[in-house]
Amino acid sequence: MSLETNWNRLTDSAHKAIRALEKKKVMNAEAFFTNTRTTEVVIRNSEIITQNRVDDSGVGFRVVAPRDKVGFACTNSLSEKAILKVAEKAFAIAQVSSEVPNFALPETGQPLKVEGLFDPQVAEIGVEEGVDAARRMIHAAEDCDKRVIAKDGRVIFESGMRGIVNTLGVDVEEQETKAMIYLGASGVQNGEVTGSCYDALLSRAADLEPESVGKNVGKMVVELFKPQPVRSFQGTVIFGPEAVSYQLFNVLIDALKGENIVAGSSAWAEKLGGIEASENFTVEDNAVLEKGFSSRSFDDEGYDSQNTILIKKGKVEGFLHNATSANALKTRNTGNASRFIGGFNMVSAIIGNGYRTKPQIHPSNLIIQPGSKTKEELVSETVKGVLVESMAGFAQPGSGMISAQLSHAFFIENGEIQHPIKGGMVSGIAFDWFKRISGISKETRKFVNAVVPSLRVEEVKVIGA
Amino acid sequence: MVMFESLEKCLQTKNVSKADLVQLRGQERVMTTCTVKNGVVEDFSNIYLSGVGARVFVDGKSWGFSSTNMLDFESIEQALENALKLAKASSELKRQKTMFEPAGEVIVDVSVSVKKPLRNFSVEDIADIPLDTCKGAEEAGSQVADVKATYISIEDNKYFLSSEGSRIHQGITRVLLFVDVLAKSNSLFCYASENLGHTGGLELFDKTSPYSLGKEVAGRAVKLLNVKAPPSGRFPVVVHPTLCATLLHEAIGHPLEADLAMAGGGFGNHVGELVSSELVTVYDDGHVQGGLGYFAYDDEGVECKRTDLIKNGVLKSFMHDRTSATVTGVSPTGNALAWDYSVEPLIRQTNIGIEAGDYSLEEMIEDVKEGLFLEGTCGGQSDANADFTFGFQSARWIKNGRLDEELRGANVAGNAIEVFKTIDAVGREAVLRPGACGKYQFAIQGRVVPAIRCKMIVGGIGG
Repeated sequence: MSLETNWNRLTDSAHKAIRALEKKKVMNAEAFFTNTRTTEVVIRNSEIITQNRVDDSGVGFRVVAPRDKVGFACTNSLSEKAILKVAEKAFAIAQVSSEVPNFALPETGQPLKVEGLFDPQVAEIGVEEGVDAARRMIHAAEDCDKRVIAKDGRVIFESGMRGIVNTLGVDVEEQETKAMIYLGASGVQNGEVTGSCYDALLSRAADLEPESVGKNVGKMVVELFKPQPVRSFQGTVIFGPEAVSYQLFNVLIDALKGENIVAGSSAWAEKLGGIEASENFTVEDNAVLEKGFSSRSFDDEGYDSQNTILIKKGKVEGFLHNATSANALKTRNTGNASRFIGGFNMVSAIIGNGYRTKPQIHPSNLIIQPGSKTKEELVSETVKGVLVESMAGFAQPGSGMISAQLSHAFFIENGEIQHPIKGGMVSGIAFDWFKRISGISKETRKFVNAVVPSLRVEEVKVIGA
Repeated sequence: MVMFESLEKCLQTKNVSKADLVQLRGQERVMTTCTVKNGVVEDFSNIYLSGVGARVFVDGKSWGFSSTNMLDFESIEQALENALKLAKASSELKRQKTMFEPAGEVIVDVSVSVKKPLRNFSVEDIADIPLDTCKGAEEAGSQVADVKATYISIEDNKYFLSSEGSRIHQGITRVLLFVDVLAKSNSLFCYASENLGHTGGLELFDKTSPYSLGKEVAGRAVKLLNVKAPPSGRFPVVVHPTLCATLLHEAIGHPLEADLAMAGGGFGNHVGELVSSELVTVYDDGHVQGGLGYFAYDDEGVECKRTDLIKNGVLKSFMHDRTSATVTGVSPTGNALAWDYSVEPLIRQTNIGIEAGDYSLEEMIEDVKEGLFLEGTCGGQSDANADFTFGFQSARWIKNGRLDEELRGANVAGNAIEVFKTIDAVGREAVLRPGACGKYQFAIQGRVVPAIRCKMIVGGIGG
């Protein structure tokens, strides 16, 4: 069955179910539905190992019974009967659930259409083009140097529709495409294996350049040969965009999430208006960025997207909200309800995302404003320090503690990179690091939910192996 | 068994003869989740999923996979056709052919025994599980700032049919409970968490009640508020089973997965060689009763029997799927698993274990002059070169053979092969732990682990 036929069936049944619920004693109800087709080519150990296609669609209902009791149920069956039944199920659950304080769904708004989120070329692309891109990416990486192995990677084309209807008048839908390529590679020399290096390109259009990803990864691997351990010291650390987009990003969003402000579990819960970072540090969440990888005209509960200033010149200016957290704090909704949350959370991983789950608060495109110097300049000004391109290890929720292994890092002395680092860790409290940012690169890199530069931080503890 | 019938019908279509091998996997999955945050049922969900994945191998070279959430015959047939087309797309690029050893016909119907079936419990009964967990946690003191408890049950009916004649049905029920607690004092936050999980029903809570679990975890979080941060540097460490589970999975498990090993990973081609301390025997066993990674058969229809991976320090085998086994010239080990019908099977651990040794915990501690006792896990990561890092929740100094001052958590790091050579004691009691993994796609797994003693780098922020 075609994507269009499926979409029409899904939309009809979701609307019918909402109308049926309106006739019962529900306070509010919402249906979130998607229909996606994903084509991917999988690379493993220098070869294409499989080509996959996943067709998926489904609908999730949030139903609010009197006294703000909320139930959720979803199905990936497209039969009208199954969809009506699951909506009933959500209502039945709501009736025996407990009150959710300040629960709110958004009312109808006027979402402005964000441009550049759909490319018909991606929607119609064939697997052959994916195979070609994968092959070119492997060659580009391995042609850099014969010690490089293209270990794992994927070429992914995704096309889909997302729709939301609720009893408060929200009735919106949006079509989007995504194209992604990534490659991980390592190097082998005299039996010694380097750590893995990754690069990726994310786009809304079919304009990916597999050669550039392959070449970048190949170059990164070659730089990692002959690593040497370092001795422990306290000094300057330049966190490259990948390191920023993972551990530092996690600490930042944990502190900025409205639900954590409500619960008092954010370190910045009472810091609105306070200076919590260096003056050069400005962060915003821009869901209306044209062609942005996580841009959207409306969030995953149907509220209008916007650009929200979170930190301006080191001062905490705002937080990320959905309808409920905004209602609890009597502040404006920022349109940050998301049903597509990355990262490794076991509960979310089991349940899945999209229609399978209720929305949570998450950034769209979190943007750290770039600085005026190149990364090379930041390095050249460093007397003794470490350039951390990527590090392994989770940040601790709440406290902001990061203690991470230097998986892809270089030792800097007298303004020059001396050698890659073998073993070793960095540790500290990220909230302290935000206050000691001495430089920000002008180059940025795009990730699923972030566009970030390199950050240079002073007085970071480096632990030698 | 409507699912079997439509899949069977699809296996009779002429497209099947165009492939060397066709594997069809049908699945019905029902999940119930209930999350309670600070005493409020924040989420109660029922999730109904079903679908079919078609996987084909063509020209002796190439795999193609296509999945659909539509269960009508036409959609399944279309998925098979898509898979064929996808497989053909790269077969010309492949130089070498892979000739699979024919698999025997397996015709079985296995269902996991469940002592307390989910159907006997009402929505209210289920909600009481995370509610009681929260209640226990909140009673641990006024410094408990944020408590989240999540109950999840997963009921799977999996159908496997292959062009080689196998017809396998597996009914598997799993129950899990997660608790996360944040304790707060002024601007200081301390975190503690614990998971319970097994293959089976609600008898999971017979041994440990949700209330006592909540209280225990919150008690730990509160206690951490008044202790120092751990030091940094390389130390002898005694690793509690909760943390040893992560060490085993990340540091040794991943490098023993054939797909990662074949990329030139840490264990390379060292089968038959001493790769670890002689005190160490590592195995993977899908048949561990109650293990969260219990599987009778994998998603290629291969039985998930015990495989010895390292025996007394000597590398014996990797974990394989049919492709890696054929390339290496060994038998598949039943480790090809897919998270659900919608994705292709990958090489995954089932229940990975370390055989128990001779030491009591006291004996492991009494030989350490200055070191650390590490407890609780915060998850981890590993790389192809066997470098690993993972977090511990709390620690204690060991000084002159005795447990001393309590400390907060941090991360540890090292290279698995180097660290496993430093193991000089293995605990006498191995415990079954729940686990999970996010290699390319999600998986839930089990670990059977004792305490161990070894040397690692600790990345603490204290002095």
